[in-house]
Amino acid sequence: MASRVLGTALFRSGFTVQDAPKYGAERRGAPIFSTVRAARGASEGETINERGIIHRPDLVVVADDTLLAIPAAGTLQGIDPDTVVLVNSRESADTWRHRLNLQGELLILPAGSEVEDRADLPHIGATCAGAAACLLGVIEPEALTTAIDEELGPLGEEAVAENRENASAAFEAMIAHRGIVTEGAAVPAKDYEPPAWVELPVDDASIAAPDIRAAANSVQVRTGLWRTLRPVIDYDLCGKCWWVCSTFCPDSAIAVEGDKPVIDYDHCKGCMVCVGICPPHAIGSIPEYLAQQREQQTIEEGEADGTDPADR
Amino acid sequence: MSETIRRMKDLPSTHLLGTGTPMCSGCGGLEALHQIYDVLGENTVFVNAAGCMTLLSVYPFTPFRGSWLYTAMGSAPAGAQGVRDALDILLQQGRLPPEDDLQVVVLTGDGSAYGMGMSATSGAMDRDLDFIYICYDNEGYGNTGQQYSSATPHGATTATSCGSRGYPGYKKDLFSVWSAHRPSYVATVIGSEPLDLAKKIEKARDMTGPRMIIALSPCPTGWDYDPKDSVDIGKLAVKTGVWPLKEYENGVVTHTRVPRDRPPVEEYLQRQGRFAHLFRPERNEELLAEIQDRVDHYWEEVV
Ligand SMILES: Cc1ncc(C[n+]2csc(CCOP(=O)(O)OP(=O)(O)O)c2C)c(N)n1
Ligand code: SF4
Ligand code: SF4
Ligand code: SF4
Ligand SMILES: [Mg+2]
Repeated sequence: MASRVLGTALFRSGFTVQDAPKYGAERRGAPIFSTVRAARGASEGETINERGIIHRPDLVVVADDTLLAIPAAGTLQGIDPDTVVLVNSRESADTWRHRLNLQGELLILPAGSEVEDRADLPHIGATCAGAAACLLGVIEPEALTTAIDEELGPLGEEAVAENRENASAAFEAMIAHRGIVTEGAAVPAKDYEPPAWVELPVDDASIAAPDIRAAANSVQVRTGLWRTLRPVIDYDLCGKCWWVCSTFCPDSAIAVEGDKPVIDYDHCKGCMVCVGICPPHAIGSIPEYLAQQREQQTIEEGEADGTDPADR
Repeated sequence: MSETIRRMKDLPSTHLLGTGTPMCSGCGGLEALHQIYDVLGENTVFVNAAGCMTLLSVYPFTPFRGSWLYTAMGSAPAGAQGVRDALDILLQQGRLPPEDDLQVVVLTGDGSAYGMGMSATSGAMDRDLDFIYICYDNEGYGNTGQQYSSATPHGATTATSCGSRGYPGYKKDLFSVWSAHRPSYVATVIGSEPLDLAKKIEKARDMTGPRMIIALSPCPTGWDYDPKDSVDIGKLAVKTGVWPLKEYENGVVTHTRVPRDRPPVEEYLQRQGRFAHLFRPERNEELLAEIQDRVDHYWEEVV
């Protein structure tokens, strides 16, 4: 959605545009991304010959900062020191620059602190498009709102109005950085970096066939990163029932250890099924970012007073 | 697992299926699968037709503890025949000790079971293939963005049925189609009724021949509801009578749960975005009544 709004806004501003979403599996938790290419001079019949993903983006907008920690999402693929990175986050730009070890420009689009569950974030697509439109510096606010009317019209007036408001607010929020994105030089096909191929000699099928001998090794995939809300068991309330939570958790992320149910936070996806079905309501939920902030505090306090957090 | 499951307390509290799968958060199909796997145990080989669940085993990761084979959408039962034959030959030649024999389990979505895979399944039942078939039924082609399948219920919105009346067809009665082949066993289950599910899977596990299971699988992504509601919606499917829990054995169909005082089907429908057009902008009384009548009629025939 963000790419369609941005693409249309660029088109309305006289550019030749190509925008495309890229789908993987269409399920919750799967990273989605989309790209926009724009070339000046639509009137001169300028065309865009490249297709597919953008190898060297001028601007990367990350709508969900949890994606930055997931290598498979490839959020920062192809960036160089001239690329501007905009992250929708509660953390500061310094924090992210440090974590990602980035040399280029990194800006923060502040994530709404009033929204507890990131999965509920309303209209994040339009917000990102609005911020991006401002950073590009070549789109007037009117072109942005026209693009929203055109692209979101079928969703009804209410949706259009809310998206317009959010996009405009994001545009305003970025005004100090208007036009910060610079146009990278075109990369001729002959200069594309070849992918990091690994040369594999032709092996016998018995060696070369993908033969996994590790049982249940999917546990190495940390789906806990998907979580926006965290379920927390209050052991004073837990009635040690017939382990309803453990049976119903779709992800097998609650096992009974000794005589208490324990949530495996490395894998819990935060669906909140367990919160709803626990008979004595012993499982509550807190926003994941708050839970992480508290954990961080506990660690820091421990460092300050010299005790090991594990001992407390 | 050899003790018989009689009460909730007998259900396992540690699980065999690995965490870390790419299924959506709150996936009702995964909920049913992990419960089923706990009962079937590790000595299983899964033959999986294309669908959401083929992403369970994406190289190099797998949540299973044994082998897994990928097949095209229409041919999982044919794949199962090959695996069963290979195991039988190894057993016969003494190259596989009988205690290492495996249960062959077909795992497919409704797109395969109700549609593309029907002929291969029919053939497997004709040949009295010794296997278990598990269809997780999320009432559409979930993996490709929830297009309709012949398991889609009347009136539901899908990616390919988005008018004000939703899907014009009617959900195919796969339970009856399968039962008509007179296999060893056919049962309907749902993850939100884990005891009923475990008893049926245990029964199937200890039989031979074709054992056919259909698990209604509430799907937050395809049915458009918050993942936390998966169990509630599953329970409502049973309570309102939309999803009858039953089994077929020796030519006889038995309902394992006959819901008394069924609440109106609306209570199930209005929890899901795919039926929102039946309630807004105004109630579609005609369609709602039709859906209710069909459910009422079903249960009149049962009791
Ligand atoms: C013959 C064939 N047609 C189409 C596809 C593309 N395809 C992959 S998964 C899928 C949907 C399968 O639906 P279902 O069996 O209900 O499983 P679900 O995705 O809902 O889990 C389709 C159409 C395919 N793999 N093979
Ligand atoms: S469902 Fe609730 S009471 Fe039962 S074991 Fe889990 S936390 Fe305890
Ligand atoms: S929130 Fe969902 S995934 Fe996490 S423990 Fe509860 S039921 Fe399992
Ligand atoms: S689309 Fe539905 S069935 Fe497929 S993984 Fe997601 S919730 Fe499960
Ligand atoms: Mg399906």
